[in-house]
Amino acid sequence: MTQERASRKKGSHTATVLSNVQAGECFWKLRFRFEGEAAQAFAGFRPGQFIQFDTSELAIPSIETIPVALRNGARRNVLLRRPFSFSDVTVESNVTTADLLYCIVGPASLRMTTLREGDTASIVGPLGNGFAVREGTRIALLVVGGMGLPPIRCLAKSLSVEHPDITAVAFIGSRTVNALPLEERPAVFEEDLSLSVPTFATLGVPSMVATDDGSAGHRGPVTECLSQWLQENADRPREEIVVYACGPERMLAAVARIANEKDIDCQVSMERRMACGIGLCQSCAIECRLADSDETIYKLCCQDGPVFDAREVVFGTDDA
Amino acid sequence: MSVEFAGLRLANPVFTASGTCGYADELADFMDVDALGGFITKSITLKPRKGNPTPRIVETDAGMLNAIGLANVGLERFVAEKLPVIARMKSAVFVNVAGTTIEEYVAVVERLAGEKALAGFELNISCPNVKKGGISFGTDPAQVEEITRAVKKACGSKVLIVKLAPAVTDISVTARAAVAGGADALSLINTFTAMVIDIETRRPVLTNRTGGLSGPAIKPIAVYLVNKVYREVAREARIPLLGLGGIRSAADAVEFLMAGATAVAVGTASFVEPDCAVQIVAGLRDYCARKKITRLAELTGSLDRPA
Ligand SMILES: Cc1cc2nc3c(=O)[nH]c(=O)nc-3n(C[C@H](O)[C@H](O)[C@H](O)COP(=O)(O)OP(=O)(O)OC[C@H]3O[C@@H](n4cnc5c(N)ncnc54)[C@H](O)[C@@H]3O)c2cc1C
Ligand SMILES: Cc1cc2nc3c(=O)[nH]c(=O)nc-3n(C[C@H](O)[C@H](O)[C@H](O)COP(=O)(O)O)c2cc1C
Ligand code: FES
Repeated sequence: MTQERASRKKGSHTATVLSNVQAGECFWKLRFRFEGEAAQAFAGFRPGQFIQFDTSELAIPSIETIPVALRNGARRNVLLRRPFSFSDVTVESNVTTADLLYCIVGPASLRMTTLREGDTASIVGPLGNGFAVREGTRIALLVVGGMGLPPIRCLAKSLSVEHPDITAVAFIGSRTVNALPLEERPAVFEEDLSLSVPTFATLGVPSMVATDDGSAGHRGPVTECLSQWLQENADRPREEIVVYACGPERMLAAVARIANEKDIDCQVSMERRMACGIGLCQSCAIECRLADSDETIYKLCCQDGPVFDAREVVFGTDDA
Repeated sequence: MSVEFAGLRLANPVFTASGTCGYADELADFMDVDALGGFITKSITLKPRKGNPTPRIVETDAGMLNAIGLANVGLERFVAEKLPVIARMKSAVFVNVAGTTIEEYVAVVERLAGEKALAGFELNISCPNVKKGGISFGTDPAQVEEITRAVKKACGSKVLIVKLAPAVTDISVTARAAVAGGADALSLINTFTAMVIDIETRRPVLTNRTGGLSGPAIKPIAVYLVNKVYREVAREARIPLLGLGGIRSAADAVEFLMAGATAVAVGTASFVEPDCAVQIVAGLRDYCARKKITRLAELTGSLDRPA
């Protein structure tokens, strides 16, 4: 039996902003508070699920504070909601709080920086299917590429709380260490170059960091760390291991290849541009193989995903 | 709030537009779909269509481009999987039909014409995202008349709405052709073919290169075109118009009604507020109460009448 992958109560909700701060060189951390019905809906939020956030009515930050490369985008109006994951969800009696880590890449994320404590936000969710925890899992290998961190961090927390019997290890890759959405820089920890990344270490999850420029941890792709771990632990039965990954599609494709070679289950969280997030528009197509056939079909990232079994996904069809 | 539309009595004049409301069950989490006046399915084709590779959408100022490519499950699976869900709806349900040949359109309509659950069909002869047919049908008046006539014959007693392409020299010419072919109603407008370029890569953002522009950006053009077709064709021919294009509030809907529409449809706005259509029904009710309007039909084409 696998655990429930989705909270069933989709809806349009209002959240109150508890805090919104620049938490690292490249990212911000926004904390929401849900009350009443919304608190209940989001208490059922599963790691890997997402929300659709309406930023169309938020103020634009003053132009001189906007990085030059983003100034043209800043002048663009926002019409559609934007999809975001949660990196942490905490349920306390009638209140649910949730953390959203975001990077500034365009008009919507720029506007989000002007949210202040006490502001309200319009959120549709929880949406999509999250990660599944299959019975018999002993080891969860969590693979992150850059801004793919939030849902994996959320999964790490839920594993540590709900499945203390499962050993999790995180593999965190990035172009450069400062591009990771981490509030504290990873500290050198072990001789084998594995680093303590506080946000995972506090959950009892050891981690390895890989950067393209060697600014922290292993210099090279994060998949090399994953391969090495699998080699060093080749005696572990493959049925006990599940790989969970979120990051750029190229990384997900490489992770899927490695898992496939070893016949290990692998779940990937995919991204697509979304207009609706709720199955109305068909904008978020993911090409998937049909079992036992050469044929492919399009599934919807927002409804059938964003988490997919890596074996079914045809990677590399969208490099947006 | 009730209106008469091509011989049908509708609870209210607000529809959801083709391709923007799934197959109804997706919206059920957010609103009572039975509170809609009408519901129009995604375009159905004879054979399933996978649709275009992604990216299929891109946002622009006050609008969006889509190039979904008529992705749909095809007639057979529509009948088996979607129709039973839709059949439970209390609103008037229209199946939007698309194809690349007249025979394909006719085959779909023939198969569905006997379904009790359906109020009628909307003929999509104006989709800008399919290479063959599609928009070429919709821009040539002779073809519009021919396809309308052929489909009308297959319709039986069901209502036939013909959806007009907006990017033509004179939309009244195609509107007249559809009326001559036997259309019971006209819907306008479909999207405008448009392009967004990524200046870093020097490539169009959409894999399909172009997409259909929808949303608030097209609303004033849509209002103008509805008014033009109302004055030049529909009023005299006594053909009701379903107005759409950028509607996201009751005020927008009232503009379309005044311009000459009998009913309106909500498209892109449902992506932002999934229950937008039922909010518009409530907003219309408030407007009518405030203006002491007892029959919505009074509003249709009321432009220039003393306020
Ligand atoms: C399920 C899901 C979960 C996500 N979770 C997070 C998160 O936790 N934190 C976070 O910072 N971001 C997340 N994103 C990405 C986020 O949605 C985009 O960064 C956001 O939409 C950007 O909006 P914008 O107006 O600021 O920039 P835009 O101008 O809309 O986009 C800037 C650039 O980013 C790219 N882009 C935009 N949207 C997407 C997308 N959906 N998929 C791939 N590329 C895209 C485009 O190439 C575009 O040129 C998630 C996306 C999905 C689909
Ligand atoms: C994502 C998307 C998909 C659409 N699919 C269809 C379709 O399958 N058939 C059709 O006739 N119109 C389709 N349309 C056009 C809409 O029905 C409508 O005519 C148009 O979007 C203008 O209305 P709006 O501005 O309110 O969205 C689609 C529009 C969008 C945005
Ligand atoms: S985003 Fe609209 S169907 Fe997935």
